[in-house]
Amino acid sequence: MSISTTFESVAALVRETLALTDNEVISPQQLLFYDLGFTSMDMLDLLFRIEQKFSIAIPEGTLYQLARGDLDESRFTEDGVLTALGRERLMALLYDTPAPIFPARIHGATLPRYCTVGAIVRLVDHKLLERDRCSS
Amino acid sequence: MFELMRSLTLDAAAGLATGEAVVPVEHPMLVDHFPGAPTLPGSWLIELAAQVAGPLAEEMIKHRHGLERWAMLGMIREAKFLRPSPLPATLHFTAEALRAEPSNVAIKVAVRNEKESVMRAELIMTMLAASTDWTEAIRARHERLARWRVAP
Repeated sequence: MSISTTFESVAALVRETLALTDNEVISPQQLLFYDLGFTSMDMLDLLFRIEQKFSIAIPEGTLYQLARGDLDESRFTEDGVLTALGRERLMALLYDTPAPIFPARIHGATLPRYCTVGAIVRLVDHKLLERDRCSS
Repeated sequence: MFELMRSLTLDAAAGLATGEAVVPVEHPMLVDHFPGAPTLPGSWLIELAAQVAGPLAEEMIKHRHGLERWAMLGMIREAKFLRPSPLPATLHFTAEALRAEPSNVAIKVAVRNEKESVMRAELIMTMLAASTDWTEAIRARHERLARWRVAP
């Protein structure tokens, strides 16, 4: 599936999640929580829809693991809050989220709230690639 | 409404639960629902389904993740009310977990009355760590479950 196809599918699922009409414009730059008014339940609902649509699994903590990468847990978070290095890693992963959106203290359990629609598209593409690698 | 549940079986390893509830025709909250044609409200079916799904979610999180979390109904992803259920009603619940993450558990619940299927739903139970003022609620929950649980 191409990136543009993934985007169209994800945008359609965002509309379904928020019960928006097909005429509502969804763009990759939109922040789910800040621009589209997502709640944590909407996020969960969107992830369920994505899992069903693309036949992929996005377990809890996926974004956290992607941001952390090969960094030791102790260097990524301290008492559940991202360290300076952890914050840098997250901001690199979510490069299209405007920097002022990230608060001074970012709790490790809240990472999905800083995602743009584009970040979700990248996540889906990453998971699709991972799935295809496993099946080949 | 906890008094309506009669029995509950839980299999945390398999992610399955069954339950039985009895709703009497003379329940005071249902006097006007409806005069001459007493019918179980759909919202009660959802609440009773959550009473089966909640303990299943709690036991699964303990079993799979070693965490003590308490379930609250967070979202009704889907619910189909297949036909009206006249009162009095004996309801049979079958619940199956679709996924169990530390913060949420998705559970499919099917409900039958004595004759036929009356509801199918997918409930998302939000899993919360207890705060200190929940002690009494948790004690009541344990008492309730001990009453409902049926030896396998």
